[in-house]
Amino acid sequence: MSQWLTKVIDVAQENQDFLAPVRQQAITQLQQAGWPSQRAEQWRFTPLTPLKDRTFSHAQATDSVSVPEIPGLDAIDIVFNNGTLVTSLDELALPQGVSIVSFAQANAQQQDDIKTLFGRIKPQAHVFGQINDALSHHGVMIDVADHAEITPVIRLINLTSADSDNHTRALVKLGQHSHAKVLEFGQGEHDSMNTAVAEYSIGDHASLEHYRFAFYTANAKAVGGTHFKLGESSNLNSTVVGYGSQLSRLDIDIWHSAENAFAKLNAIYLLAEGELFDLHTCIEHAQPNGTSEENARGIIGDGARAVFNGRIHIHRDAQKTLAEMNNRNLLLSRRALVNTKPELEIYADDVKCAHGATVAEIEGSELFYLLSRGISRQKALVMLNFGFIQELVNDIPNKAIASWLQPKLSERFAHMEVK
Amino acid sequence: MLSIKNLHASVEEKDIIRGLNLEVKPGEVHAIMGPNGAGKSTLGYVLSGREGYSVSEGDATLNGKNLMEMEIEERAREGMFLAFQYPVEIPGVSNMEFMKESVNAIRQQRGEEALTAAEFLKKAKDACKQVQLPLDFLKRGVNEGFSGGEKKRNEIMQMILLEPSLCILDESDSGLDIDALQVVADGVNSQRDGKRSFVVITHYQRLLDYIKPDFVHILAEGKIVKSGDASLALEVEKSGYGFLGKKYEGETA
Amino acid sequence: MSEQIEQALSRKYEAGFYSEIEAETFENGLDESVIRRLSAMKNEPEWMLEWRLKAYRAWLEMEEPDWAHVNYPKIDFQAISYYSAPKSMKDKPKSLDEVDPELLRTYEKLGIPLHEQEMLAGVAVDAVFDSVSVVTTFREKLEKAGVIFCPISEALQKYPDLVKKYIGSVVPRTDNYYAALNCAVFTDGSFVYIPKGVRCPMELSTYFRINEQNTGQFERTLIVADEGSHVSYLEGCTAPQRDENQLHAAVVELVAMDNATIKYSTVQNWYPGDEEGKGGIYNFVTKRGICHTNAKISWTQVETGSAITWKYPSCVLKGDNSVGEFYSVALTRGAQQADTGTKMIHMGKNTRSTIISKGISAGKSNNAYRGLVKMGPKADGARNFTQCDSLLIGDKCGAHTFPYIESRNPSAIVEHEATTSKVSDDQMFLCQQRGLDPEKAVSMIVNGFCKEVFKELPMEFAVEAGKLLEISLEGSVG
Repeated sequence: MSQWLTKVIDVAQENQDFLAPVRQQAITQLQQAGWPSQRAEQWRFTPLTPLKDRTFSHAQATDSVSVPEIPGLDAIDIVFNNGTLVTSLDELALPQGVSIVSFAQANAQQQDDIKTLFGRIKPQAHVFGQINDALSHHGVMIDVADHAEITPVIRLINLTSADSDNHTRALVKLGQHSHAKVLEFGQGEHDSMNTAVAEYSIGDHASLEHYRFAFYTANAKAVGGTHFKLGESSNLNSTVVGYGSQLSRLDIDIWHSAENAFAKLNAIYLLAEGELFDLHTCIEHAQPNGTSEENARGIIGDGARAVFNGRIHIHRDAQKTLAEMNNRNLLLSRRALVNTKPELEIYADDVKCAHGATVAEIEGSELFYLLSRGISRQKALVMLNFGFIQELVNDIPNKAIASWLQPKLSERFAHMEVK
Repeated sequence: MLSIKNLHASVEEKDIIRGLNLEVKPGEVHAIMGPNGAGKSTLGYVLSGREGYSVSEGDATLNGKNLMEMEIEERAREGMFLAFQYPVEIPGVSNMEFMKESVNAIRQQRGEEALTAAEFLKKAKDACKQVQLPLDFLKRGVNEGFSGGEKKRNEIMQMILLEPSLCILDESDSGLDIDALQVVADGVNSQRDGKRSFVVITHYQRLLDYIKPDFVHILAEGKIVKSGDASLALEVEKSGYGFLGKKYEGETA
Repeated sequence: MSEQIEQALSRKYEAGFYSEIEAETFENGLDESVIRRLSAMKNEPEWMLEWRLKAYRAWLEMEEPDWAHVNYPKIDFQAISYYSAPKSMKDKPKSLDEVDPELLRTYEKLGIPLHEQEMLAGVAVDAVFDSVSVVTTFREKLEKAGVIFCPISEALQKYPDLVKKYIGSVVPRTDNYYAALNCAVFTDGSFVYIPKGVRCPMELSTYFRINEQNTGQFERTLIVADEGSHVSYLEGCTAPQRDENQLHAAVVELVAMDNATIKYSTVQNWYPGDEEGKGGIYNFVTKRGICHTNAKISWTQVETGSAITWKYPSCVLKGDNSVGEFYSVALTRGAQQADTGTKMIHMGKNTRSTIISKGISAGKSNNAYRGLVKMGPKADGARNFTQCDSLLIGDKCGAHTFPYIESRNPSAIVEHEATTSKVSDDQMFLCQQRGLDPEKAVSMIVNGFCKEVFKELPMEFAVEAGKLLEISLEGSVG
């Protein structure tokens, strides 16, 4: 057992609330399973050593937090700092059709609603999900009414100070035929740790535009998850951006729980020197006529390591599924490393399923073309490498978010050297 | 040759053919025209035995044998050939091996010796030439990567090779330009020998300029509503399918 | 339509007969004394015994791997006999005339006549029956070319230095659980050495036959192709139909020195068990080759048998410009389970590898491709292309793909593609409309799906593989 996990369990057992039974279940599982071995398939390529025997101070929320400004974005901000909800939800000006309540303030009815979502969408067997189950006393439930069209982007912002940890939960429920936009943003200071988990239940015919930006760098650690359950004929469009850090891991699960749902997932990761980013995605096609499209693209700098594990699981009943997954990686140095595993598990015969993965350098002919136009080699490589990331940026539905993200990525990339 | 009496057929419990009668004698060419959704393609599928098409009433015989009691391949061996509107691809199986199996299965049924590789090759090459398909199409996978026009010509090539007694051409003209249409029609006409019969299913009259029918039938809502000679097709071309009722006004032929 | 396909798939196993041959078989069970006895019987040098014992001791400490996508009850290694040989083999026959006629008949029944004059010229056969090699044909002709092709037990007597130098050099003793077990108890297998610059004048092949009940087969094949040489090697396998599972844990090591080429083809048709999964061979095999500079190793496999297949023929591309290839057809039906694929370890510059895997799943079977492509930091300009295609027949089977890709080199290119398809109703309808019966139609479509792999097989085997697939897909029509 790790010192950190021992402390987690101690802390968890001290605090109890209306979610106690679920939390206790998670604690028991953690006690039984213990610290994951590196031989476990889930952690084969991502060493947990930086975390294993660390202890974090239980920092209070700081007086002022600086929330990232996205120019031109109509946003509703919900901010967590060091594990504490610092936004006063009562003071938020919410459009009609959406309600947001914290776990602490939930009335009896709301508590029941929370219980029907909490831990019900996220897969059970994930150590850090269980840790979040045990510790996420600060959380919110966002409830979008049937047929409601929520135009502002609801931002869930997780900020963690140095040496602190942060375990928060967001539960999002979209009623039938509703539409909402949610952006999850995470950032941590020196040697912090975050396990933010979000669970989404997307109702029949509802659509969700979703973002998760994991901007952890240096030794800010994060192991989080976003988990979607798709209702009949629902629509999900999700964009994930990951920077790398000493330990940055994100699990995305998309569960086609009813027929005819559509899911699109684009993921971008840019890893600078020495960083790690591990993206595990799992698309469960449990029902017929579902469609999923996944594109994960990354650039891996000197001494950095990218891990991509993309799984598509087509259940026996999920006939007529269309599922496509593609992963592309570029290594900028011979000290960069990528481990990619696009897996398919198929139990239905009438499906169209394809996946691909490439690890490549830039096409010689493309490079030649740029060089022949007088562009320097270094610059040409940068331009060409960035192009395939740019395609996914261009695909972001919200223009304000895309324009804000674009220079951030370019800047980050500009500091990465082709060696 | 082909005799259809009061045929009723449905797809997914939807009635498509509703009491169709047709007599095709040896050597005759019958054109079946009709507006979209009349049941033209369904007729081809029902006669050839495609799964999912169920016959609830009536019967159809080929050379006196009840078609409805035969498996798909038995009908084929009996001499029925369906030229598909949308021929499917079979990756990795070459046209050549496919046709060789097919030709020999049909020859066996007729009590004929299997063709030797050399004999078959010669026939296959001739058939290719006749529809102006390059010979390397024999080596390529069945319809694999073929253009629309190439697929249609490939169907006619197969028809020439298999020497069927009854050919059903399902919209063999769709998607073809005039030159390709001419090639397809020439291929078909070369097979008219006074004994072989043809059922030409088409939406447009234009094909019938090239393949001259003895009889033209108008199929609408699952029945033959009008029959005549080649002039009927021209008439329909001139005035469209509007005469069938309000719903078909403006639909040209 | 799918019912017809199912029907077309119900197969009978043609190699399922048992031969009445008096055998000498060890008591069930495994300990050091069994290994000593085995080694003594074969009159092995002392170092070989030591090597086996080291492997055995390591094996005792190891755990059975559980990562493959297969399920089976725990194997009781004490309930297996580790040696069985026809009694008539005790005094090794000097020529074919001295071989027990019943043995020869067994191979004839399998379509492998061992009388040289009856054989296809151009294929030399080593026939391994349970734990021993029965006969090796065309030895004189091969010897003239300087090629050594003999049972490995004989090689240990005649060419101990060669064996000592290379055995375990590609698959180390403790490589994995089953390989370690094989090192401890392997009984026989083939040894091939092709001298420098020699192009082996004929195809070499080994036919493995398990006959006795409750025996395990643990053969070991070692092929060394010296600089600039060339060899094509084939193996085939069958076993009688029984209700119990039997273990087959083989190790194959290939060494391709500079500029050498080894082509290794397998048509694996061990008894697969019945429709419900009763009986059948557990085929847990470790195959690996090492390529030195400019060398090439090409694995081709057609896997239709075994209750469980666990097998990853691999290439270590150590030398610059070396080439590794893996072409595989794996057909599972009934309750069969296959977890098979390859590893391509790129170490040298400009190394190339190609992986083409065709998995066909029918019945209640599960068919998984598992592969690793690894680009080391020094593998500048290395390339890999992988294509994994799955064909599902029916809706009770599973098709899975687990490709692991690891790259540490920015100039290396790895491409992986996977697709899934089924035998479509439209394809079946077209074939039947052209007069083919459903069985022929399925087998033709499946053969078409596998074409890229079949064309890699040596001619004699391509025909056999096609036939095998056809038999596997054959229904009531004889």
